[in-house]
Amino acid sequence: MNGGIRWGYAINQWKPQFDDFVRREQHERALKTISIAGFEGVELTYGTGRWEPLGNPQQLAANFGSVTGFGEFVRGCALDAVSSWYWDPAERSMEHLTGPLSPMAEDDLPAMVERARELAGALPELGGSVLVVRPVPGAGDVEPLGDDALGRVAACWDAVGRATAEHGVRTALHVDFLSALRRDHVPALLDRTDPAVVGLALDTGELTAGGIDPLTVISAYGDRIAHVQFKDALAVDEAEEYLQPHAHWTVRVRGGAREIPRWFAEPGADGGLVDFPAVTRALVEAGYSGWIVVESDQSPHPAASALLAGYLVQRELRPLIETEKEAADA
Amino acid sequence: MVWTKWSYMDHWVTETPQGPQPPSFNRAYMDRYVKQLSALGFTGFDTFFFYLPLYAGMYGGVPGFERFLQDNGFDKITGIFSAYPSATKYTAPHVRETHDRIVADCTNTLRMCEALTGVENFIVMPTSTYYQTEPVTDDTIKVVADLWNRVGKLTLEHGMKTTCHFEFWGAIRTRAQLETFFEYTDPEYVHFFCDTAQHTIAGVDPVQLFRDYRDRCTGFHFKDTKNVDEHEAYRTPPDPELMAPQVTRWFYEMGEGGLVDFPGLMKEIVASGYDGWLTVEHDKAELGGGSYAEATAVAKWYIDNVLAGAQAAAEAELGVAR
Repeated sequence: MNGGIRWGYAINQWKPQFDDFVRREQHERALKTISIAGFEGVELTYGTGRWEPLGNPQQLAANFGSVTGFGEFVRGCALDAVSSWYWDPAERSMEHLTGPLSPMAEDDLPAMVERARELAGALPELGGSVLVVRPVPGAGDVEPLGDDALGRVAACWDAVGRATAEHGVRTALHVDFLSALRRDHVPALLDRTDPAVVGLALDTGELTAGGIDPLTVISAYGDRIAHVQFKDALAVDEAEEYLQPHAHWTVRVRGGAREIPRWFAEPGADGGLVDFPAVTRALVEAGYSGWIVVESDQSPHPAASALLAGYLVQRELRPLIETEKEAADA
Repeated sequence: MVWTKWSYMDHWVTETPQGPQPPSFNRAYMDRYVKQLSALGFTGFDTFFFYLPLYAGMYGGVPGFERFLQDNGFDKITGIFSAYPSATKYTAPHVRETHDRIVADCTNTLRMCEALTGVENFIVMPTSTYYQTEPVTDDTIKVVADLWNRVGKLTLEHGMKTTCHFEFWGAIRTRAQLETFFEYTDPEYVHFFCDTAQHTIAGVDPVQLFRDYRDRCTGFHFKDTKNVDEHEAYRTPPDPELMAPQVTRWFYEMGEGGLVDFPGLMKEIVASGYDGWLTVEHDKAELGGGSYAEATAVAKWYIDNVLAGAQAAAEAELGVAR
């Protein structure tokens, strides 16, 4: 049912580095900006420690009294929900005194499941329904994924998916352009996971930067898409620099050999490579129902990016969905 | 019913490769600026007289710029702001000998507005700085009034109302000076533009002022302040707005805990039957690291989520329907 598409915005772009964007009035202004730009939900990014007030349920409670208190804060800014939480298990947890967790390490599985359960447990109270996860580390930071590794990864996310499903939360695998899954492995992993509890998070910008057309992914895996992120890509990693070690810094942040200033921007930005009307139409035709979370990673001007994204959604993408729906109903 | 006539006063600074610049930096920046205002739901656009040639250059004429606004959900250009904040030997509203030059200037501005849908307000700063004008006597105010009576008659012939926007640092700033000015000006030609922050800083209650001069009011700048001028900053040369030692930032967007009672003003507006444009302004939003995009978003959020409620409550209480 295409009328089930809801529009959210990711707050991650407001936090350029670890000790910024920590004050409540900053969060309030960002949430109000997201609301007035025309979005109904906000996506959070997992973080840990004193400078991540929105990073995990413990920090929400420490800063807002409780998860419920944070929900009231969000609704007080005229947003309906926290749509989703993005979680990279390689991020350590100061709250649990643990280091990075790996979906390929069987020993980490209990902690992975427990951490996912905590995040998923908070989401329903906030109106959310998706835990977006980084399924494997970057390609340059692990050995090439063989059958055994893919089997362990699939088992891990199935276990996580079952745990989050207990809270009514879908687990969605978010494959970024540095991912070890980028070349050929997405089908291999998806085919090994349980469609009932594990889906795909389609990120238009990451796929495009990785040289993958989001339309082909929708065509092939439309029924597995559990979450969508709309961001534009300004460049493609044609030289496969993602295979380098520490590509997060050397390629994503620093821009690789070409010193790309920004890989990503808000949808519709000048020079953007993603055809958002086409992607939106394809999602509608695939019967996608759920959140489309707009992002503008690496934006130096987060509020401006949110308003420009709101312009595109209000004036083009939302009406397009309505038109498609009316045509389908006719 | 929701108030749909919200306009934005063209005070925006954006980051460019050459540092902070107005969006008129180039066409791409200008387009993005208009799109952001459009996303926020503004339907009117007020601008300064000195931007008109720039917009004409970018959009093939001022009407071309207005068409671009209309393509993005705006009704029209609603107001043109003209000013002589620094007195010179050529232009000083309190010096009668300069009036011909000022009228000629205004005529040039009016020419740039020809073929527009219908600019409603020709907004003027009635005087230059206080320190350049003082002592401010009845005679001083009479000279100033004579000028704007002339300009008001002229602009009315072009379909625009001359409306006076008083600054806290201008020569007409106290309640008594304002009353004298309104007494000396012709209600048919000279109107009142209520800038909530400027009056508050000058120690004048903008809600009461609107209540008293509602019949002459043709517009508002909804902006906030956190300070009343208690140190005669208004006399500080050369520019009290930016260089007063006691206060580094005078103006804030609505919803940031300032001194102006916006819900109270909204109630007065509803009660008065005023049905014109309401304008958002927040000059110098960049001070302290702020962004105009976020400041404008926060102000419009306040309009939609707080003032809309105040308006609805006032309408219910007064039994009026808009």
